[in-house]
Amino acid sequence: MKEDDKFDLPQGTLDLLIMRVVSLGPIHGYAIAQRIQQMSREALQVQQGSLYPALHRLEYKKLLIAKWQATETGREAKFYELTARGRAFLKDETEKWKRLTDVVGLILKGTLEGVS
Amino acid sequence: MNWFWRLFSRKRMDIELDKELRFHIEAQVADKIRSGVPENEARRLARLEFGGIDQIKEGCRHSRGTVWLESLLQDVGYGLRQLRKSPGFTLTAVLTLAMGIGANAAIFTLVNAVLLRDLPVVDPKSLVRLGNWADCCQNSGPKQDGNYSMFSTETYEQLKRNTPEFEELAAMQAGFENRPVVVRRDGGQEAAMPRMGEFVSGNYFGMFGLQPAKGRLISASDDLASAPLVAVMSYPTWKNVYGGDDSVVGSTFWMNTKPATIVGVAPEGFYGDRMSNTPPDFYLPIATVPNEMGGKGFRDSSQNWLDIIGRVKPGVAPLPLQEKLSAELKRIYAKDSHFSAADIAKAHVVLAAGGAGTQSMQDSYASNLKLLMWIATLVLMIACANITNLLMVRGMQRKTEMSVRTALGAMRTRIVRQLLTESLLLAAIGGVTALAASYGGARMLLMLTFPGDQHLPISARPSFEVLGFAICVAITTGVTFGVAPALIAAKASPAEALRSGTRTTVGGASLVQRGLVVFQAALSVVLLVGAGLFSQSLSKLQHTDMKLESQNRYIVHINAQAAGYKDDQVDALYRTLEERFHAIPGVVNVGVSTFTPMEGNDDGFGVHLIGQPDIHIEATNIIVNPEYFDSVGTSVLMGRGITSHDTATSPHVAVVNQDFVHALFKPGENPISRSFVAGGDSPKPYAIVGVVAGTSYTNVRRNGKRPMYFGPLTQPSEVGYAGAIVVQTSHPMGDMEEITRRTLMGINSNLAIQKFETFEAQIAGRFTHERMLSTLMLLFGGLALLLATLGLYGVTAYSVVRRTSEIGIRMALGANRNFVVAMILRSAILQTLSGLAIGVPVAFYGATLVRSQLYGLTSVSGSALWAAVGMLLAAACVAGAIPALRAASVDPVRALRIE
Repeated sequence: MKEDDKFDLPQGTLDLLIMRVVSLGPIHGYAIAQRIQQMSREALQVQQGSLYPALHRLEYKKLLIAKWQATETGREAKFYELTARGRAFLKDETEKWKRLTDVVGLILKGTLEGVS
Repeated sequence: MNWFWRLFSRKRMDIELDKELRFHIEAQVADKIRSGVPENEARRLARLEFGGIDQIKEGCRHSRGTVWLESLLQDVGYGLRQLRKSPGFTLTAVLTLAMGIGANAAIFTLVNAVLLRDLPVVDPKSLVRLGNWADCCQNSGPKQDGNYSMFSTETYEQLKRNTPEFEELAAMQAGFENRPVVVRRDGGQEAAMPRMGEFVSGNYFGMFGLQPAKGRLISASDDLASAPLVAVMSYPTWKNVYGGDDSVVGSTFWMNTKPATIVGVAPEGFYGDRMSNTPPDFYLPIATVPNEMGGKGFRDSSQNWLDIIGRVKPGVAPLPLQEKLSAELKRIYAKDSHFSAADIAKAHVVLAAGGAGTQSMQDSYASNLKLLMWIATLVLMIACANITNLLMVRGMQRKTEMSVRTALGAMRTRIVRQLLTESLLLAAIGGVTALAASYGGARMLLMLTFPGDQHLPISARPSFEVLGFAICVAITTGVTFGVAPALIAAKASPAEALRSGTRTTVGGASLVQRGLVVFQAALSVVLLVGAGLFSQSLSKLQHTDMKLESQNRYIVHINAQAAGYKDDQVDALYRTLEERFHAIPGVVNVGVSTFTPMEGNDDGFGVHLIGQPDIHIEATNIIVNPEYFDSVGTSVLMGRGITSHDTATSPHVAVVNQDFVHALFKPGENPISRSFVAGGDSPKPYAIVGVVAGTSYTNVRRNGKRPMYFGPLTQPSEVGYAGAIVVQTSHPMGDMEEITRRTLMGINSNLAIQKFETFEAQIAGRFTHERMLSTLMLLFGGLALLLATLGLYGVTAYSVVRRTSEIGIRMALGANRNFVVAMILRSAILQTLSGLAIGVPVAFYGATLVRSQLYGLTSVSGSALWAAVGMLLAAACVAGAIPALRAASVDPVRALRIE
């Protein structure tokens, strides 16, 4: 993939991506970063470090809960998990996001047809 | 995990954050190595992909939501360190704030308690008092100005019957400070004790809307002549004297030898219908007052002795009500033969707010307290000027520091916030200290104002208003005078500030600073002149010729009625008193009378000469025994005094004082053998047999304006039983009180001492007010002087520091020490003189405002003025000399090397 094909994340979507990844089961920060890259097929340009302020903010908002556990390699890492509140929030936000992209897509499609 | 907890687990969280991020990077490095990248390169790439670690950590901390608090804590910590670093500045600022605010809060506590507080009763705002001034002393007959404030029982009852505008109209015994009843609990072992009793109408408690703490309160059915004598005890008396004993209610107490049943206890916090240092211990209904408690006089239809307070019905307009009451009063007085047509036409009543009660204390202290409030405000202004000066000086000193911080990239908002935190911190410390000072100050003021008084229902504890006031002043001062220098400092362009350094010849202290010092000097000279005037006034009052002798005299007060004596027994009692006291070794004269000179009360009556019924005067009547005039040192100027030949069967005579002669006779006219009549139901003419000097009674301000006539104890008069004994001894006798007690017990075990004082102490007691004012003025004047001196010192010292290098150059160029001292001192003295130029005219103007509170002074006296000016100049010299000498000891070489 060429550098030009990579996206910067729109404002506010990082939280949603993180929560989506975390919803699959307890996971530490490094793995979250790897998963986002893999799942987006390397198309998203996320500065790895910028995950952490977001993680901490979500934890502070009680959408995530964290605990220290051993990884498969035996090292201690901080694992994040969705809280009940986080789950509800994710469901809500995902629906909102879908509606938004549908609507934006609809409009953009129309415009393009009009232009061409 | 809330933010508070997070704040305190900050350290642990930082360690965890570090661990978490390190794990990420290590894991990435491991992955990269696994995919074949060399270790060094893997590390570099991992860090690059991760981004700036410190920024990310900061981002994480922000996410925690505690950053604002952390930086606040940082600011506070830094501020405290700054304040600790300059203890001189901190101490001066805190003390200045504490004194300025403390003095104000203390005065305000008093003003709040004495002037502004309403009675603790239901809806005090709807209470109205009939009469707007505190009439002293039971009296009868028409008033000169026709403004009535005190009424007879009969007048009260008629007014009550004819005014449906009032929900309730209640009456209460008017404002004598001393209304003792002698009380002994039935069956108890205790001796009879004098306590305060107050006679009130049956609807008194109902009108105030009060509920009893125990038992019941007095009701209308108790206030009937046929009802048994009952009393309500005050809550403090019940708690403190009878230990909150429940059996008090329903038990019998002997009051002036009459049995009274205590039916209940008044509510806690109710201190009677007026603020007083002698609040009532017992409330008794008017109609059942036994003769032993003065009931005879109280039932006299012309004897005015009641204050009246009523609760108006909603929607009643005050002015028509006042008109109606005045008309009613005219109608009542029209039936009284003592009132001429002119007296009746003048008669009126002015309604006043009754929420604070009868307000005799408020009336007598209002002008003093207002004056003190003004003075405290002046002191606060001086204090604020000082703080401004201090903070400005500090702001300028730290200009360089601020420039360095700005140059190093500190945000301007952060610097301003930092300085603001610092001044608020200072204000907070000052405010807290001020609160302590205000508590101490209010206690001291209470002690000065009401010496030796435990019964006053005023607490020195600052109220919420006072707390709020102190905090507001502290914060306003802190913010206003802290932010301005902060903004100036923050605005400075760093490069310029760093360049300009300290070598400068101009300025020293700025114009604003000098202006503030001038302003302080002006204010303090005003206060000092005031203090001088009030102490002069006090000294004049105390050294007035009172035309009496006070040395080796003791005044004893008894109550013959309370001890059970009847009309036909008191003559014998008077004779026994004379004999028994004369029998004490060392006793020279024994005077017996109703009142003595310089006492708080007397009896006034309308008087006119026979054959001249149009000329009315009000004169004080005192009945005395033959030795009375000698015992108090009043000299007989014409004719004779009262002698033992004046008996019940001899002609009705009176001795009058000089003021009486001046008021009723033309100059040169001989008053001897002339006759006059005085108020009362069946006046019996008095023949004047002598004239005595105008000895001061009640108040020296009335010297020369107080007509008096003295009748013999043995003859019928307008007044009640004699209650004062003046014992003159040949030498001071320390155990006189004990001897008196034994002597009285020997006559009748019911004769208790109501009050025992030396004549000197009694006289001094009449000047408490003036002494308090003069002491406080001196105190505030001293405070102002101290603050102004500090201010002048601060500015001078600052300018010396600023001019150190200039002084160094001058000295290097040949200026000698004297020149430098003179140069510095000159500017300090110049500022003080400018202050004097403003302050002295203001002091003259101020003196005209307080003229009514001064005695024997109409304007600023030379001595007070010179004393104030001298003190201020001396203080200025001290404040200027210290920095001047320091300037003179500057070593030119070191001064020049400073930069």
